[in-house]
Amino acid sequence: MLPPTPARSAQQLFRRLLALPPPLRQRTFSILNRPPPNYSGHVPLTITERAGLAVGSAFGSLSNPYRHDLIAALGEATSKPYFITRLRHAMLKDPTGRRILSDKPRISSQTMKLEDLRKMPENSVGRAYAAWLDREGVTPDTRDQVRYIDDPEEAYVMQRYRETHDFTHAITGLPVIIEGELAIKAFEFANTVLPMTALSLFAIVRLKSEERKRFFEVYAPWAVANGLKAEEVVNVYWEEELETDVDVLRTRLGISKPPDLREIRKVLREERRAEREARRAREDLGAAGGV
Amino acid sequence: MSSPALLKRFLALPPSLRRSFWSSSARASPAGKPEIYDVVCVGGGPAGLSFVSALKSHSATQGFKVALIDSQDLTTSRTVNDADSYSNRCSSLTPSSLRFLKGIGAWERVNGDRTQAYHAMDVWDGVSGSKIHFDSVDKRSTGLLGAIAEMVPGSRFRASRRQYETSAEEAVVATMCENSSLASALLQRVKDFETEEQTAQVQMWDKTKVDSIDLGPEAEDEKSLDLSQWPIVSTQHGQIAARLLVGADGANSPVRQFAGIPSHGWDYNQHGVVATLHLDRTFSANELRTAYQRFLPTGPIALLPLPGNKASLVWSTTPQHAAKLKSLSPTDFTAAVNAAFRLMPVDINYMLATTTTTTDSQAEEFAWREAATPPSSTGLPPNFPHITGVQLGTPASFPLKMRHADTYTGHRLALIGDAAHTIHPLAGQGLNLGLADAEALAKQIVYGMEHGMDIGSSWCLDGYNSERWAANHAMIGVVDKLKKVYSAGSGPVVWGRSLGLGVVERLGPVKAAFMGAAAGVR
Repeated sequence: MLPPTPARSAQQLFRRLLALPPPLRQRTFSILNRPPPNYSGHVPLTITERAGLAVGSAFGSLSNPYRHDLIAALGEATSKPYFITRLRHAMLKDPTGRRILSDKPRISSQTMKLEDLRKMPENSVGRAYAAWLDREGVTPDTRDQVRYIDDPEEAYVMQRYRETHDFTHAITGLPVIIEGELAIKAFEFANTVLPMTALSLFAIVRLKSEERKRFFEVYAPWAVANGLKAEEVVNVYWEEELETDVDVLRTRLGISKPPDLREIRKVLREERRAEREARRAREDLGAAGGV
Repeated sequence: MSSPALLKRFLALPPSLRRSFWSSSARASPAGKPEIYDVVCVGGGPAGLSFVSALKSHSATQGFKVALIDSQDLTTSRTVNDADSYSNRCSSLTPSSLRFLKGIGAWERVNGDRTQAYHAMDVWDGVSGSKIHFDSVDKRSTGLLGAIAEMVPGSRFRASRRQYETSAEEAVVATMCENSSLASALLQRVKDFETEEQTAQVQMWDKTKVDSIDLGPEAEDEKSLDLSQWPIVSTQHGQIAARLLVGADGANSPVRQFAGIPSHGWDYNQHGVVATLHLDRTFSANELRTAYQRFLPTGPIALLPLPGNKASLVWSTTPQHAAKLKSLSPTDFTAAVNAAFRLMPVDINYMLATTTTTTDSQAEEFAWREAATPPSSTGLPPNFPHITGVQLGTPASFPLKMRHADTYTGHRLALIGDAAHTIHPLAGQGLNLGLADAEALAKQIVYGMEHGMDIGSSWCLDGYNSERWAANHAMIGVVDKLKKVYSAGSGPVVWGRSLGLGVVERLGPVKAAFMGAAAGVR
């Protein structure tokens, strides 16, 4: 027997793997034997790959929150085995949710024409959505395609959740800055129980201390209370609700409007600027007075 | 005549006549005393008829004077020999029940074209999709060590072909037979005893309601018969005394009430929906057939094969779902049954909860959901047939409950069949336990006769009780726990039961032991 070199032991292992009976060989889903995709863009992952993706995208999106593709990947990697199935069942239990799953509507700049939305009645959902998109400077096209969820219907549920995230922004009025996003994520966790929404709350470490205080005092309690008592937001057929009055829809869903974050920040910014001006004026006066 | 004179004349009568004048009990018997029978069997269902046939088949007991009483009309043949229609009440007969029926000569009188043997069973979990496959291969497996050795990848133990060499007889898991078919075959067998020599005729009283069962009167003097410990059955035909009274009279047994034997158990708050279905494929008589059962959280649904392209449905579900199913059109009913086997529980509950009044809406809903539910995710067996229709008039339902009498015997009294126990239909054991009871009681009476015992005494009857009561109790208990374990819709119970099922699926000898227990191996 020759001494086992690395090449020879790899060869032996390979030969032993080939000696497996065919049913066992074909059953194992490995990187050498990937099943065909279930929908266009589908990438089937093994459990190890999915775990690696979850860990990597979690740390990656924490260090660079502008990496929306990593946040999307984190959402898909952590949604199985239970959470996306629970959300799919929640849609199947509701008549409107079933209609959404049957029609499978998509939100993009083709299906949501901003010119039409801006012409909608005052205080309607469509008008508020268009106004919010204009204020934040985003378009409906910035959402990634779902790739790592195996069942096509569950992949659609995840896609729908992602595409209607902006509508949640529109009816709560929370801005796209990190503080507003965290408040929305807390609300979504209480409402959809997707793990990615809870994991993204780790980004609280990136907030300034005063923002963090505001989050825990005002927005987190609002998010938890409203998310739990509200209806499932994923069951709202937004394409049909574009002309509904925003307050009427909010009452129907059971959501109360949180304090306007941009207003609060603007007011605080102006107060701080006024304070700074006053202090500088006093210093200048003092210097001029020659004390 | 004046009243005091009448009274004096009356008081001069002998005591027996005086007593009989004032007695209010019905004494229509022409002889004045009840006629004594060796065995009186109340109830002409499969258990009662097979018991009487078993007694008459043995040389020791064929001379017995036997009476059989039933409130239904037994003489009309209820089976219609139409290959396109099957009754919705069918039973699955285990190999040991078949052996018994063949032994008493009843099986040869059953129309073989209307029975269907099946050779495999696929059972799977409706929530997690974990599955188990039963067939005769496991019965002849090579032992526990062999099973473990086969699991080692690359070993040569897979090469053992011995377990695949089974005869057609041994390959059968159970046989489906219509209840009416079996009942008329048993009735025919009992009638045929009249022509056999050395066999006393069975006195059959059908369309006869039992008015009352009492203990006999005290003996008038030392020399006359003391029937005070004997059960006397009063019917329109008179009074008969029984050396042994056998209660085979169903779940609300008057015989059991007369004996004062309490029966404990509970109602399952489920209804069993039965129907006869048409499948997409026609099977010939020599093809291997499979029975299917899926455990949904609302209750198990089973598809049991019948000859040709027919199958029998037994679906245990909530009373609300059962009422909804019975109100559906045939197309919608078919869609609902297909859905129950192929879709996720959330879809099935939605389809059966909707109060839509438009017909054929269930079929559209099912078509959409079937396309969105891959079979591998629900554990659907690969060769599961499509159900294309339902025989008109066959959807029906009955409430499910569990009862077990505290004991099967009393003085000069024995209970067999549903009078003794009621079980959930998920394991197909109800009729088989009844037939096993009949066989055991007949065997015990034959033993008693051969050893000179009084067949009504507890000395003889205790043997029947000890043979059957514990075995039935264990079976009823296991079936009840299976029902409870599979009622969970989510959570750790689902995970635990899926793991357990997966382990049993891989251990051939353990599976063979369960199959043997269900088949009533004796």
